[in-house]
Amino acid sequence: MQGKRIEEHFIDVEPYYRVQGQELTIALAAHQHTIPLLLKGPTGSGKSRFMQYLAWKLRRPLITVSCHDDLSTSDLVGRYLIRGGETVWLDGPLTLAVRHGGICYLDEIVEARKDTTVVIHPLADDRRELPIEKKGEILSAPPEFMLALSYNPGYQSVVKDLKPSTRQRFIALELTYPSPDIEAEIVQHEAGVSRQEADKLVRLAEMTRCLEDAGLQEGASTRLLIHAGTLIKSGIPPRQACKVTISEPLSDDHELVAAIDEMISSLY
Amino acid sequence: MPSSAEQTILARVTAIIPESELNSWEQEELVECLAPLSGHQQELILHQIAVIWPVSHSLCLAFLEAAEPALACLDPEQFAAWVRAILHCYEAQGLQEARRFMADLESHFICTLKGQSGLLLSTIKKRLDLYLRGVAGRPFVLAEATLPGTDTATIFLPRNCTFFDEDDANFLVYKLIASLQWAFVRVNLYCQEVPNEQELFRKMTQPGSGPKDEAVFLNRFFKLFARPDRAMAIYHFLQTFSALCFLQKKLPGLMADSTVYFQSVAAEGAATMEPQSLLAGEYGFLLEQLSHNRPLELPPGPWRRLCHPASWDDSGQILLDTARIYALWEEKPDQEVASPPWFQGTLQVEAAHARRLARRQEVEQQFIEALAIRILPALARKKEAALAPGATPADTPQQADSAADLSLRLPTPQNEPEETGPDHNQVVRHIRLDDEKIGLDSKLQELGREIMDDLGHLPQLYLDSAEKMAAGRSYAPHIQTAGPEGEPLLGTSLYDEWDFRRQGFRHNWCRLLEKEIQPCGGTFIATALKEQRGVIKQLKRQFEQMRSHHRFVGRQRDGDDIDLDALTEAVADQRAGLPPSERLFVRQLRDQRDIAALFLVDISSSTEGWVGKAIKEALLVMAEAMESLGDRYAIYGFSGMRRTRSEVFRVKEMDEPYTETVQGRIAALSPKEYTRMGPPIRHFSKMLATVEARVRLLIILTDGKPEDYDDYKGEYAIEDTRHALVETKNSGIHPFCITLDTKAPEYISHLFGAANYLVIDDVKKLPRRLPDMYRLLTS
Repeated sequence: MQGKRIEEHFIDVEPYYRVQGQELTIALAAHQHTIPLLLKGPTGSGKSRFMQYLAWKLRRPLITVSCHDDLSTSDLVGRYLIRGGETVWLDGPLTLAVRHGGICYLDEIVEARKDTTVVIHPLADDRRELPIEKKGEILSAPPEFMLALSYNPGYQSVVKDLKPSTRQRFIALELTYPSPDIEAEIVQHEAGVSRQEADKLVRLAEMTRCLEDAGLQEGASTRLLIHAGTLIKSGIPPRQACKVTISEPLSDDHELVAAIDEMISSLY
Repeated sequence: MPSSAEQTILARVTAIIPESELNSWEQEELVECLAPLSGHQQELILHQIAVIWPVSHSLCLAFLEAAEPALACLDPEQFAAWVRAILHCYEAQGLQEARRFMADLESHFICTLKGQSGLLLSTIKKRLDLYLRGVAGRPFVLAEATLPGTDTATIFLPRNCTFFDEDDANFLVYKLIASLQWAFVRVNLYCQEVPNEQELFRKMTQPGSGPKDEAVFLNRFFKLFARPDRAMAIYHFLQTFSALCFLQKKLPGLMADSTVYFQSVAAEGAATMEPQSLLAGEYGFLLEQLSHNRPLELPPGPWRRLCHPASWDDSGQILLDTARIYALWEEKPDQEVASPPWFQGTLQVEAAHARRLARRQEVEQQFIEALAIRILPALARKKEAALAPGATPADTPQQADSAADLSLRLPTPQNEPEETGPDHNQVVRHIRLDDEKIGLDSKLQELGREIMDDLGHLPQLYLDSAEKMAAGRSYAPHIQTAGPEGEPLLGTSLYDEWDFRRQGFRHNWCRLLEKEIQPCGGTFIATALKEQRGVIKQLKRQFEQMRSHHRFVGRQRDGDDIDLDALTEAVADQRAGLPPSERLFVRQLRDQRDIAALFLVDISSSTEGWVGKAIKEALLVMAEAMESLGDRYAIYGFSGMRRTRSEVFRVKEMDEPYTETVQGRIAALSPKEYTRMGPPIRHFSKMLATVEARVRLLIILTDGKPEDYDDYKGEYAIEDTRHALVETKNSGIHPFCITLDTKAPEYISHLFGAANYLVIDDVKKLPRRLPDMYRLLTS
């Protein structure tokens, strides 16, 4: 992230994104009115792809930060580095986005520690400013700047919840798995398989999603279906392709994997 | 006068079974059975008597009769396994089944030993259940029966499958018949209700009308015909065809895999079916297509001419087609109907009807209850408004009356101009309470939908019942079902129990009820907090120091701040002409306490006195201290009586905030019944296993040995508890025990392991020792 110039964050080619409902209109309106955006949804449902598409549509650079336990405030804001006996200030991704009016997308925000997330508070309300403590500087965000967060409400534990004070600054969009028709269309496009093949994969995904009450943490995501489709397209037998892309990644529980394998062999 | 050999046997028997439990008649019978056996055989049987006798006396006597022939063909190890199997059978299905099990040693036990029992349903049940849940999108209950079938909620499958030699192939058979039963449900096998029955029956070529007294529609239909069995066979054939077509479309892989199976069924059918019998050719035709995985078609000739599978979605059509084929068969009055292939299963018309009625009742109940809760606030508001002090005295009675007469109505075209009345396919989104529109949530909408699908309309009666229920409750806000002691019931679960004598589990042996304690007021909390003020203050300080702390590590390549020492060195190195280090940063690390603890408190009657005060104080002090520590914790009490009523009482859930309600529940803890430790330990191990934490602790506070009213005492109770604790440890949870039983050292390390317990000799020390122990345990 650091060291990359802001120009490199522009997205030049239109990413594939199949609009499902009002999400794009709402996100564009949010940008226009400088309100930050919160994307909720299960894994692999297209949150990151949606952000890429939005950035392309808005012609703004997209700076993505994948959040994790050890992400510190300086990882976001920036830090002094020592080069050749001198200290050099280096902007963090958040500062970079604010300076250039880009879109800063904090992926899986709940993974970050709560004290880290607090740094975005002044940016996320009507102040729209980023204090850089170490430099004694306060950056004001230009109107083009947009802050977006994503998280997966499905598997967050109680420890990993968003604070209400954070939540209540955002417009929230829920991106769930698309309807079967749209999902098949996406798989068909992304994996390059026939519509019939895509329909079958979507049916399999629906079957696995029914197991969510029975011990499976999450059903197969659209992303997994695309992987499966891609392998099938490249000539790997469908049963094997689905096994390695769907049943095995979904669970380590022997019975669950076996049950999903049985579904695969019933379909193919 | 018994012989001396008999005397010896009698002595051995009475050593195992207390004489008080054995009448002379039983004594004689035991001795009689044992006497003719060799010494070695007697030894083996006596050993098992010790296992079976405590479970059931009648079973033990029945066992004695069956034991000798069994010993002839089983070695000692197999004999013990056989006894375990008998006990499972007895505990699951009762004495009759156990007798049958013992009588047929060959088919029930020996073939399993030899691996000839094929694939047992019990071995693959879980996998099949998950598979079916995914495929069907809803859970089905899987149950054993001789023939496959379904009542739309349960799918019946045979106990074992011996069709092939390999397990995989047999599993495929299970998968196929289970999928087929699901397909039957999907193609509406039981033809639940035909909208216009009269008209349909009129359209039939057969004159006359069905018997009026027949409650189930399909039976009414079959009885229209002179030979109902024929109509039923035709109908089932058509439905099987329909279900198989459905499977071919939905699960092509399954049908492709099953060709081998269909080939053998076809071959078998060709060998056994009377070729002249009705339907024999038709089934043959069907199997032929299935064996080659060709798209299914109806048999050529009249079937294709007379039946219209394309319009079977309308269930009337398949009935009309059945009638047409039946008419065709009138020319062949003497021919028998062939018995259908086994995989088709049976039609369970009555069971499906009963299931439907049960479901209707369930939905009705759920709908009424959910609706009652939904309208409760509105109703209360109206009543309050009617009784408001502002109302003039003259108005009040009238208004109160009208409040009682409030009526709950469905939206109709009259009172809802923008909407048409709810027709067959429409969801009821809101209802009207007098003039107020009340929206229904998704659950209610879903239930409403199901009712409309079933009955065609939403009966006003349901609304009236809901209103009545709400009116009755508006002043009693606790809506949960009360348990036998008045505590609201939160859930029940079943647990196995370890029987050390047989070295095996008694499956689903104990029923555990989870209940909520009603918090009580009073002065206890305030007094205790005041008395323990000093301890609490001190503990809080200690515990605060244990909180997660930050730590700086220097000389990192990258970090939050510059490490001045390292920087100075680097500059010096550079001046000296040495290559300076690049590790010039400090980074803040944080050690997090990621601990979840569950305090399980024995509130059996023997704790009277100490539960009374010390334990409650200890819990209170502990909770206060825990709040400053920030670890996640839960508090539960346990007690119970007999295996069917092991109870746990919720004081504080894992992530429930520590509030006055929780304090109130601590104060409300009171001595209950006995100490059956196994079920609560298993219950909370299961619960803790789902909690995400680095360290998970199960802290048990007790005053003595595990003991229950029934035979859960002594070695049995200790061994079960020990086994439950071993299970707990295996699932990555640390159990720890605090006991007030000064005799505990005799057995407690056997239970918990050497360093995992603490004996407190004075109750009064508990409030102080409990947090201390926790601190040591977690730091």
